[in-house]
Amino acid sequence: MCAATNTDTLLREEPRHRVLGLIAGRRLRKRAAPYFLVAPAVAAIAAILAYPLCLLAVLSLQHYGIRQLFAHQGVWVGIDNYWSLLGDAAFRAVVLRTLIFTFANVAATLVLGTLIALLMERVLPVLRLVVMAGLVLVWATPVVVAVDMWQWMFDYEFGIVNYALTHAGLGNFIHHSWFDNPIQGFTVIGIVIVWGAIPFVTVTLYAGLTQVPREIVEAAEVDGAGPLQVFRYVTVPVLRPIFVILATLSTIWDFQAFNQVWIMLNARPSADYMVMGVYSFVQAFKVSQYGEGAAIAVVMVVVLLLATAFYIRSYLRQAVGGLEGA
Amino acid sequence: MRVRSSLVPAALALMALVVGACSSGSTTNNESGTLTVWLMDGSAPDSVVQGVNKDFNAKYPNVTVKVELQKWGEIGTKLDTAFAGSTPPDVVELGNTLVAKYAAAGALADETSKKSSYENSSSWLQSLTDSCTVGGKLYCIPYYAGSRAIIYRKDIFAKASVTQLPDSLDGLLSVGQKLMEANRLDSGFSAFYFPGKYWYAALPFIWDFGGDIATQSGGQWKGQLDSSGSQAGLLALNGLVSKLSRADRQGDEAKQDQAFAQGRIAMIVANGWEIGVILDAKSGGDPSLKDKLGVFPIPSHNPGQSAPVFLGGSDLGIAAKSKNQGLANDWVRLLAGAKYQNQMATVGKVIPNTTTLLGLNDSDPLIGTFARAAKNSRFVPNSPNWANVEASNVIPDMLVNVFTGRVSFNDAIRTASDKVAQILNAKS
Repeated sequence: MCAATNTDTLLREEPRHRVLGLIAGRRLRKRAAPYFLVAPAVAAIAAILAYPLCLLAVLSLQHYGIRQLFAHQGVWVGIDNYWSLLGDAAFRAVVLRTLIFTFANVAATLVLGTLIALLMERVLPVLRLVVMAGLVLVWATPVVVAVDMWQWMFDYEFGIVNYALTHAGLGNFIHHSWFDNPIQGFTVIGIVIVWGAIPFVTVTLYAGLTQVPREIVEAAEVDGAGPLQVFRYVTVPVLRPIFVILATLSTIWDFQAFNQVWIMLNARPSADYMVMGVYSFVQAFKVSQYGEGAAIAVVMVVVLLLATAFYIRSYLRQAVGGLEGA
Repeated sequence: MRVRSSLVPAALALMALVVGACSSGSTTNNESGTLTVWLMDGSAPDSVVQGVNKDFNAKYPNVTVKVELQKWGEIGTKLDTAFAGSTPPDVVELGNTLVAKYAAAGALADETSKKSSYENSSSWLQSLTDSCTVGGKLYCIPYYAGSRAIIYRKDIFAKASVTQLPDSLDGLLSVGQKLMEANRLDSGFSAFYFPGKYWYAALPFIWDFGGDIATQSGGQWKGQLDSSGSQAGLLALNGLVSKLSRADRQGDEAKQDQAFAQGRIAMIVANGWEIGVILDAKSGGDPSLKDKLGVFPIPSHNPGQSAPVFLGGSDLGIAAKSKNQGLANDWVRLLAGAKYQNQMATVGKVIPNTTTLLGLNDSDPLIGTFARAAKNSRFVPNSPNWANVEASNVIPDMLVNVFTGRVSFNDAIRTASDKVAQILNAKS
């Protein structure tokens, strides 16, 4: 929104300058100023993001095994790494698995996050405080520590989940392995991911909910709208930009899920549990095929771009819409 | 491979070094600098490392030795990074299955011409020497070995009226069934506890029936996990696991000693040093089990014989890029020499690097069995690519698939066999 307003002002000033016939130098200086201002940020991004990404792309075009690593000299193979990935049925399964797992996690995160945010809006302030404190605690727990605790809880031998389920009379869960069946295993890992992702989503949505104008809600209620209709026709449209941002960020985060899979499976995930982030890491750093690992990472970026294209389009539409509206 | 409570903090090593420097009367060498040594967590007892450093500093009072302990879990990544840099550690302990990878890539110094300068080099354990040998050249010095046998609970055996230790696979199964029957009221009891990914312990069964991981002919590797011998071994093992084990079929052996100490397990396949873990309260063990433990070799399907075991262990390599080759040689000479190998066996309870010291623990009813098991031992395919087979979890995945039955037996072994061949035959 901010960006839209700024561009807007620029657009309006532009013709006036021309009419006034200001000298070219001053115009140039004026035009250059924003670039000077943005230069440090661009330089920082180039150094910490663009340069490594560029190296990654170059690496993905080389055969870079351990011998090449020690010699600091890769062997140029063009797009061979990509060709072999495309022809690899196991890799295609990894991509598909990652997409499905990401979609399920994002959906669960957004639905649960929204429900908790709505709940927080409605409960007594003291309860809201309790919920908020709980969320912040989850948020504040370092990922590795949190996942380690989840791993203990789902432990086959000593885990409290098996113990509690059995003693609650829900069946015999003594020596139940949660990871024998990959669907069940991914459900458990998904719970861990969603658990960690909910606080940010909930807190953001709750902040958004407080911005929903009271009078519009009341007007809708006067017009006879029930709670669901208020949510559907008032709350959701107001929160739409927030939903788009949260969905984008969640997709990006869940798509590259690594810690949760890696730690829950004792750093030895079997082939059934390979998601793209883990697969790339294993190929590069465990099997020492750095070129292939880089190619997987590049494919990951591309798939992620495609997967978030929908949201990006939404952004662009909003931005353009803002311009047109002005 | 070996996971034990952490041992020497670097400070201790430094202290030993200072003490050593002060007490050495005669200065024999003026060299100075720092010698960096990477040892694996739990490989050498504190006293051995301190002793080696003390002796080393008696000769080189001005050299600082930095012993840094590494974890098995992330060692591959750390080694890749270290060797790629310009100042890798001077001396590194390498798991014997990892040596070929680093030697073939040029990371390790060629020690062939210095071999005879190492004590006992003519009587080194053949299997360890083989693991150091790539293309006919020696790239590391054998450090110590470990072999597996079955640790069992004498009292649980006695309570189930088992008087005769199994001396065949069938015997193991029938003893196990007797134990399961005697403990049928305990739904968590395992007569023979076998976590699904414990592939080191699965190899003896495969080898015992004439199977193998892969064989090489004419420079090409051929996967053998689907050979008839391997199939027979895996089916026999699957029979034991399905009838006698309630271990996690998706889990690994990392916590098996703690589980064993809980008292609801009669037998585990384990390394000799794991006895120490089982009895150590600090690492989750139970000291009161001291007189209740016994050991017998993994039985063969041929009655009266024992199955060949996997000879694990470590070697000491010297980085090709090390600027302290001479110092590194001398430090390794101490740790791999008779004096400290003796202590590795008697204090560390591992199998020393030379056949001349193999008898040290013979009279020990527990450790002696492990040392004897090492005499009938085998090794994994000695290829620079072997480490990648391990890193890809090919064999653990296959075992999980066989034990859980979520993939058909034939598919599981064929996939694994093909994958092994594919990785071993890949250009590195």
